[in-house]
Amino acid sequence: MTTAISVSGLTRRYRDHLALDQVSLEVESRSIIGLLGRNGAGKTTLLRILAGQEFPSSGSVLVHGAAPAENEAVLRRMVFVREDQTYPDFRVRHALRVASWFYPHWSAELADALLADFGLPAGRPVKKLSRGMRSALGIVIGLAARAEVTMFDEPYAGLDAVARQIFYDRLLADYAEHPRTILLSTHLIDEAAGLLERVVVIDRGRIALTADADDLRGVATAVSGPMLAVDEFTAGRVVWDRRRVASRVSVVVVGGLDEADRLRAGSLHLDLTPLTLQQLVVQAAAQPADTLERTSA
Amino acid sequence: MPDVAGLEEGTPLFAQIAGRLAEEIADGGLAEGERVPSMNELAAFYRINPATAAKGINLLADDGLLEKRRGIGMFVASGARRRLLGQRRERFAAHYVEPLVTEAARLGIDTDDLIALVRQSLQALPLTSQGGITV
Amino acid sequence: MRTWRDVARYHLVVPWAPLLIPWAILAGSFLVNLVIFALAPDGQHTVVTSHGPVSVPNATSGYTGGVASIYIVFLIIGLNLVGRSLPFALSLGVSRRSYYAGSAALGVALAVADGLVLAVLQLIERATDGWGVRMDFFRVPYFLAGPWYLTWLTSSVALALLFIYGMWFGIVYRRWSLFGVTAFVIAQLAVVLAGVLLVAGANAWAGVGHFFTGLTAAGLTGLLAGLALLLLAGGHATIRRATV
Repeated sequence: MTTAISVSGLTRRYRDHLALDQVSLEVESRSIIGLLGRNGAGKTTLLRILAGQEFPSSGSVLVHGAAPAENEAVLRRMVFVREDQTYPDFRVRHALRVASWFYPHWSAELADALLADFGLPAGRPVKKLSRGMRSALGIVIGLAARAEVTMFDEPYAGLDAVARQIFYDRLLADYAEHPRTILLSTHLIDEAAGLLERVVVIDRGRIALTADADDLRGVATAVSGPMLAVDEFTAGRVVWDRRRVASRVSVVVVGGLDEADRLRAGSLHLDLTPLTLQQLVVQAAAQPADTLERTSA
Repeated sequence: MPDVAGLEEGTPLFAQIAGRLAEEIADGGLAEGERVPSMNELAAFYRINPATAAKGINLLADDGLLEKRRGIGMFVASGARRRLLGQRRERFAAHYVEPLVTEAARLGIDTDDLIALVRQSLQALPLTSQGGITV
Repeated sequence: MRTWRDVARYHLVVPWAPLLIPWAILAGSFLVNLVIFALAPDGQHTVVTSHGPVSVPNATSGYTGGVASIYIVFLIIGLNLVGRSLPFALSLGVSRRSYYAGSAALGVALAVADGLVLAVLQLIERATDGWGVRMDFFRVPYFLAGPWYLTWLTSSVALALLFIYGMWFGIVYRRWSLFGVTAFVIAQLAVVLAGVLLVAGANAWAGVGHFFTGLTAAGLTGLLAGLALLLLAGGHATIRRATV
């Protein structure tokens, strides 16, 4: 497996805040990586720097071995779909035509199929598209480019659930036929969880966690039942978020539970509900910094 | 995650894929020598990453339950069904009998009543699955 | 890499903007001036000669200044270009360097082409005696009054200059918004002021005056070309760290 993206000590400082702080990251080629984190955590800044649209304050960024900034040999191999793309006074077909010039692997066939899937009219001026349609256009370009490094930054603003599902399905289908490196920054973690091989969580400008998505499943479990039973069961374990009503208590237990634990919980009449990836990230964000890193080791 | 195919949250996806394939083999849905869905087919069906599906397939292959035929795909190995059912039997006591007994004890049901209940349940089973599956 | 050529094509995807608008505006200005000239009464006055009083037409100083409109348009197009098309271009993996080169190349190409058309129109104007109403629209005294090839050169350089100047403004706006543009304008005024003070300090007004009056149209064209190159470098330096 080659390394598609290699980031080391990346820092981006703005006048009033530190957007990225000594970020280091390796991304394998031909995989789908989820980039998760709160608003303002630094996901967009990281992607913009990878795409050569922003410049680092310090640190190194390599995409397929070379720095992307102002480097067309590398930039040609990348496509970046951002949340709020500005277009010239084009119609949809103009935007696609222009994109085809700059992406060596562009597939007009796929672009047409995706236009139909999203119901995007080729002749409509981009300015007149609804928010969802503009997002769809970005997705069409991002997928049809078949770029070796494909990055999506919350690409679904205004897209309804049906359209989002189309996006995930087409992404998966084309990825299966043409594997590439895909970075997907998203809030809607649970929708995309199945697609992700690896997960990178960014918090306050730092990498809070990198892990295989599968490893995070079952890392945290909600345990609820009578207070005494819960306390007995969770003794000695890392516990987040304790909530209580009358004599019932619900806590989040971190660290996997094995068969024996499950049986024991059953005998204590406790309910076990594994946390989804989204819930895990949300819970972790409420903890002091570095918590995720420490507990998932 | 859109659980159209009902994958659950708490366990790694690849393990679930492997588990479902194993169940299909054990239940006879996938016969020995039959081709197993490819990683892309599974990925599309479950809406998951192909690599995850591949991991699940490989898990079964590593256990010798699936065999690879170069250029064609993965096939159910001979004897796979027997082995899987054997594994299930081994886990039967821990998964079903112990909880049954523990709960019965908690409810104060004595041994004779418990056995009577088990008999009743057996008789109520539809004819086709009565007597278990002989291997 | 041939990217800069694709950038030029990119600007022409919707062709009417850079190709037609300059001419549309110019045509409008032309027609307005034509109508005014056609409606104005033929000026005549009486001159006393040795043969007695003679009625002569007024000397035509029929230069209208309307042709300046196309130059202004080029400035505006250069300015507008960056705001509208830079963000999408960058997202397609075009480097700022290529974007600038391609856009400038397009501007120069348009300037040369449109400059030629202006020169031809000037020839026609001369041949039709001011479009039949003695109007000098395309003939600008001193600047665009010589042979057609010189007119072509001067027009092209001037159009390119304004285009590049407009681009620089657009880039400054991209990077630093209205505040930046204001500072940019002030900085230019400061440079001019510094120049004036320098000349005044060296008491060199006469020399400067001589220089400019002695300058032929060709010489002026050379000066403008030099200025254009300076502005080109300035714009390039500014775009290098621009973000969208």
